[in-house]
Amino acid sequence: MNFLKKKFYEYYLHPDIIFPPRFDRREFAFFFFGEDMMRRHISFKDKEKFIYYLKANVPKHVYYSSAYYRQPDAETMAKKQWMGADLIFDMDADHLPNANKMTYEEMLLKVKDEMIKLLDFLIEDFGFKKKDMALYFSGGRGYHCHVFDKHVIELGSQERREIVDYITARGLDFSHIIIEKNIYANYYTTSTLEIMPSQPGWRGRMARGIISFLREIKKMDREEAIKKLMKMEGIGKKIAVSIYDGLDEEKMRRIEEGKIDQMPSIRRLLKPLINELAVVLHSSTDEPVTADVKRLIRLPGSLHGKTGLKVTKIKLDRLDDFDPLRDAIVFGSDLTKIDIMKPFKIKMMEREFDLKKGKTKVPEYLAVFAIARGFGKIF
Amino acid sequence: MAKYPFIQEAKEWVKNEKISIEEILNDAVYERARIRAVERVEEAMEHGIINNAGCINQTDCMMEIFSYPIARMIVVSIESDFLLRRYALAEAKKAYENLKNENREIIEYIAKEFAIEIKNGTIHFSDYLKYAPTWDIRWKLVNRIMNKGYIQLSYREITRLLQEAIRKKIQNELFYMFSPPDVKKIFNEFIIKMKNKLALKGDKKFEGEASFKDFPPCIKNLISAVKSGINVPHVGRFTLVTFLNAIGMPLEEILKIFSNSPDFNEEKTRYQIEHITGRISGTIYSVPKCSTIRTWGLCEPDELCKKVNHPLFYYRIKRRKK
Repeated sequence: MNFLKKKFYEYYLHPDIIFPPRFDRREFAFFFFGEDMMRRHISFKDKEKFIYYLKANVPKHVYYSSAYYRQPDAETMAKKQWMGADLIFDMDADHLPNANKMTYEEMLLKVKDEMIKLLDFLIEDFGFKKKDMALYFSGGRGYHCHVFDKHVIELGSQERREIVDYITARGLDFSHIIIEKNIYANYYTTSTLEIMPSQPGWRGRMARGIISFLREIKKMDREEAIKKLMKMEGIGKKIAVSIYDGLDEEKMRRIEEGKIDQMPSIRRLLKPLINELAVVLHSSTDEPVTADVKRLIRLPGSLHGKTGLKVTKIKLDRLDDFDPLRDAIVFGSDLTKIDIMKPFKIKMMEREFDLKKGKTKVPEYLAVFAIARGFGKIF
Repeated sequence: MAKYPFIQEAKEWVKNEKISIEEILNDAVYERARIRAVERVEEAMEHGIINNAGCINQTDCMMEIFSYPIARMIVVSIESDFLLRRYALAEAKKAYENLKNENREIIEYIAKEFAIEIKNGTIHFSDYLKYAPTWDIRWKLVNRIMNKGYIQLSYREITRLLQEAIRKKIQNELFYMFSPPDVKKIFNEFIIKMKNKLALKGDKKFEGEASFKDFPPCIKNLISAVKSGINVPHVGRFTLVTFLNAIGMPLEEILKIFSNSPDFNEEKTRYQIEHITGRISGTIYSVPKCSTIRTWGLCEPDELCKKVNHPLFYYRIKRRKK
């Protein structure tokens, strides 16, 4: 048995699996060590049998279906008979722009930022209750959020796509954000522009975003502020100057009340600000998997075969403090001999490691990680 | 009830009258209901909407209610999916026109039929998504004010959602309905007349081969994405359908392109294409401008794109060059 499989076996003797609701209606799928075909269409009637299966087979990766079926082990979709599916957001570094330029730790941090934004949308806008949501570290390069709310279970993929479009602001119409109002007074009409920070939904979110951005700009000194403004898409020097110079106390006060008619150039801020407020779920071509009503997702409590980290549950309000390279580690710190083939630096269990090529001894958890990632081998 | 013959209450009422299907189809007493039933189907076919019949006294109303199940039997007997969908929409539009003038209690009552709960003028987003025409930018969820799962809507807008709920319900019922063989005999003449009309209607001729290589890059990308089974966002599908329709591609051809999507549902897709292209709804949606396509993140311009602001111009310029 190779080192990794042996370690996985030790874990699966007493795994701490978190079973999804309607566990017996799900399809399970596995990758095994030394195989590159996924084994699918497996289902389990009871939890003991499942745990036994893990012990007996020691899978490299474990997945289950977000959907539940009348016959989860049938081989075709038609025979499976779809009954419903959880709503799942898979926030992976793969979906981020520039992911290949970041270190593992940077990627995880960036994905966490996106997840924090997403949770706010799900709770504030969609009204999901915390008890109907679960948050997991994926064991790899991202986070998963599962929603079990009864309202979403039966939604089809087109409806789910609308939810994705909502959180990513795709198709957002700016005339819903900056409201043009006609005022009739003394035989003539004027129009005013308004934003509404106290409103819910995107209208309020964008309005508050504009206000806090302008506050921030106002605090900066002139040169720095103009530089920052000009970095934004569609803003040139002239507009940057006019925005910064226009921001006196009185104007700022009016803007905070939503009255922006004296600063029509605020319109220009909308597009760049959207990118900060919306959730970045995908690169330009890769449509997120959330809309898929029959996808496979990693099982919470199982190990990720390419890191050795555990798919770990995170309390919704503890995402901020969560450190995957501390909290998702299941292996101990006994020193283990390893031959590093590809040098790398990493912080694990709050210890900094700088591994050079060649033979060395490291804590077991790091050995597992390095081998799973293909950075080293046992000798 | 006469205005909304599809509701449960009307069904129960018809059941309780304990009149057999034979009677309804043959007895002279119900002649008026049969004439009205034919009228319903004819109006649906010709105008896409059914007019209200005057309901002055109780008999009028009774005949009106009875005409609805008869009309349904006729529609099923004509055996045309197109007519079936068009009829369902026409009934739903009729209900919409009526509901527009109703007070809130009635609207809320009809909403309950579809398990839609209206809470102080708001409805839950999951109900909204089931029935809102989200291919229309104004109806996209992202452009709605949503708070804790509930969306603020005007009663007029709720009524529009009910139209779709009604259409879906009627259409689903008709799909799985069998009509007694007698219907074909009794309405034989009318059924044949309708079948002939439907045969003539067909799709308008497709003028000249559409040449894919003359399509702008955004459309090309969408086609190859759809064909290779990648999930394309709603707005992308919308763009693609409006474009292909504008250059005169027949519905069946458009449908074929979509048949590879992972969530392909022929029935649903066909309905949406028919809707966007105005075949059953009367409104033909126009092809979005380049700037709109750009905000949707679907634009990957080439050299020629810089000179145009609309995907159709691009196509025309390319074609003219030949």
